[in-house]
Amino acid sequence: MLRLDGLTLHYGQFRALDRVSLHAGPGELVVMLGANGAGKSSLFLAISGLRKLSAGSIRFNEREVARDKPSDIVASGIVHCPEGRKLFPGMSVAKNLMLGAYVHRRDRRGSDALIDRVFGLFPMLHDKRNDPAGSLSGGQQQMVAIGRALMGRPQVLLLDEPSLGLAPLVVRQVLAAIKAINAEGTTVLLAEQNAYAALQIADRAYVIESGRIVMEGDRQTLLNDESIRRAYIGA
Amino acid sequence: MVMFFQQILNGLTLGSVYSLVALGLTLIYGILHIPNFSHGALYMVGAYFAYFFAGSLGVPYWGAMAGAAVVVALLAVASERLVFRPLRGAPVLHDMIAAIGLLLFLEAVVQAIWGADFHRLQSPHTQIVHLFGLVAPAQRLLIVAAAFALMLGLHLFLQRTVMGSTIIAMAQDREGAALVGIDASRVSMVTFAISGALAAVAAVLFAPISLVYPAMGDLVILKAFVIIILGGMGSLPGAILGGMVIGFAESFGAFYISTNYKDIIAFALFVLIMSVRPSGLFPGGVR
Ligand SMILES: Nc1ncnc2c1ncn2[C@@H]1O[C@H](COP(=O)(O)OP(=O)(O)OP(=O)(O)O)[C@@H](O)[C@H]1O
Ligand SMILES: [Mg+2]
Repeated sequence: MLRLDGLTLHYGQFRALDRVSLHAGPGELVVMLGANGAGKSSLFLAISGLRKLSAGSIRFNEREVARDKPSDIVASGIVHCPEGRKLFPGMSVAKNLMLGAYVHRRDRRGSDALIDRVFGLFPMLHDKRNDPAGSLSGGQQQMVAIGRALMGRPQVLLLDEPSLGLAPLVVRQVLAAIKAINAEGTTVLLAEQNAYAALQIADRAYVIESGRIVMEGDRQTLLNDESIRRAYIGA
Repeated sequence: MVMFFQQILNGLTLGSVYSLVALGLTLIYGILHIPNFSHGALYMVGAYFAYFFAGSLGVPYWGAMAGAAVVVALLAVASERLVFRPLRGAPVLHDMIAAIGLLLFLEAVVQAIWGADFHRLQSPHTQIVHLFGLVAPAQRLLIVAAAFALMLGLHLFLQRTVMGSTIIAMAQDREGAALVGIDASRVSMVTFAISGALAAVAAVLFAPISLVYPAMGDLVILKAFVIIILGGMGSLPGAILGGMVIGFAESFGAFYISTNYKDIIAFALFVLIMSVRPSGLFPGGVR
């Protein structure tokens, strides 16, 4: 469904991604593990068309999308929920969600139905729908960010460190919601440092270090791997 | 007492014109972070086009205003495409130099076509209105009414339409806007068009009670910068309130102190307010 081949990305002279190749099949939940600065966000930004690649291809549903505009990539079904959430803090929760459906603005009815499903997934967003997004707690803002991404009708959802800075209980809620979204058929690529929690809901995972994929495997293989346990789980 | 109300009306008139100019400037700053000095030239070009439409082609005043607004909106969009877009990602200083270059260029072109003389744009509304025992020139009342109508229109556009919310979204989070599929270059173009049209309308409203000449935008743009810094860079209510503050300060200053100091008052007030509230009256950007 989504297949990256030899992605290379530079910031000036610095090579942030080095020939990254990976794939995600329909309905899979794939976790990207990596420490600070490994290149997870750069990878997602490159997929979304916000960073220019020096080399490589991105094929989505058998189509090359690596040189497409960000708006075309969203419209084609790859939606990115970024690190740091990037909400519109002065706008209401409802307006943030509706802007998530910007590329589907001609289908207002479809978006109205979808926003109800988002409120079903995160009931508290319904209570807060008229509050400015910036006034919500971190966990609530993360839910707005995920909800906004869902409004873009993703076939592939890129989630960049959704648990960052959240309390353990909230992390569990957020990961449960992600699992639920995935269970309804959406392919998910989830970048996390929180390896143990993320691997619990993963089908497969890749480990990225200094812009390179250094390991890949299914959940059990990675959970049992000594080096992973030492580097990311601390057990 | 009558004189006092007269100054209020003058302050409102000046404030309305300044607010319209400052709104366009603050929109562009809030969304694209460009200090657009050429905005003053757009204001001036707007007055000249209306003068040309009305004087040479015989178009009625309001038609000439609409025509000038369209021409200047297109000119603003062209400046975005040809000058500011290629500078995306460059340091702000480059934008600023380019903007000043554009200002000088437009002034030179206008001077080459129409000369350096002063012109007068006639308005059909020369009557004096008697209201509650006060006298008011109709043009001044029209300036205030038209400016408020435009501000209301802009507010509704930004808050109620999808295109308006893409502008605000981009001001609040550029990357977030790109990730929901908002096309940054389209938003830039719309923003420049709106700001150009606002500048042109402000100039055509004000021209019948002032003069049309190549450097007419210079002082206006400096004051507009003072206003948006006062109001908080990127803040729309701040631009309106700041415009009114400067307009009132000038009209009352001219009357109670001296007309000679009228233009200094804005800058003196600026220094005063900034030393008390360095982040402006309304910090926080486009909402
Ligand atoms: N805009 C940029 N300009 C220059 N270098 C950058 C830029 N963005 C990221 N980098 C560098 O690229 C490397 C990868 O960064 P990236 O943000 O992709 O890592 P990450 O895996 O998402 O890290 P984190 O877990 O901290 O979010 C880092 O060394 C970072 O310093
Ligand atoms: Mg990151």
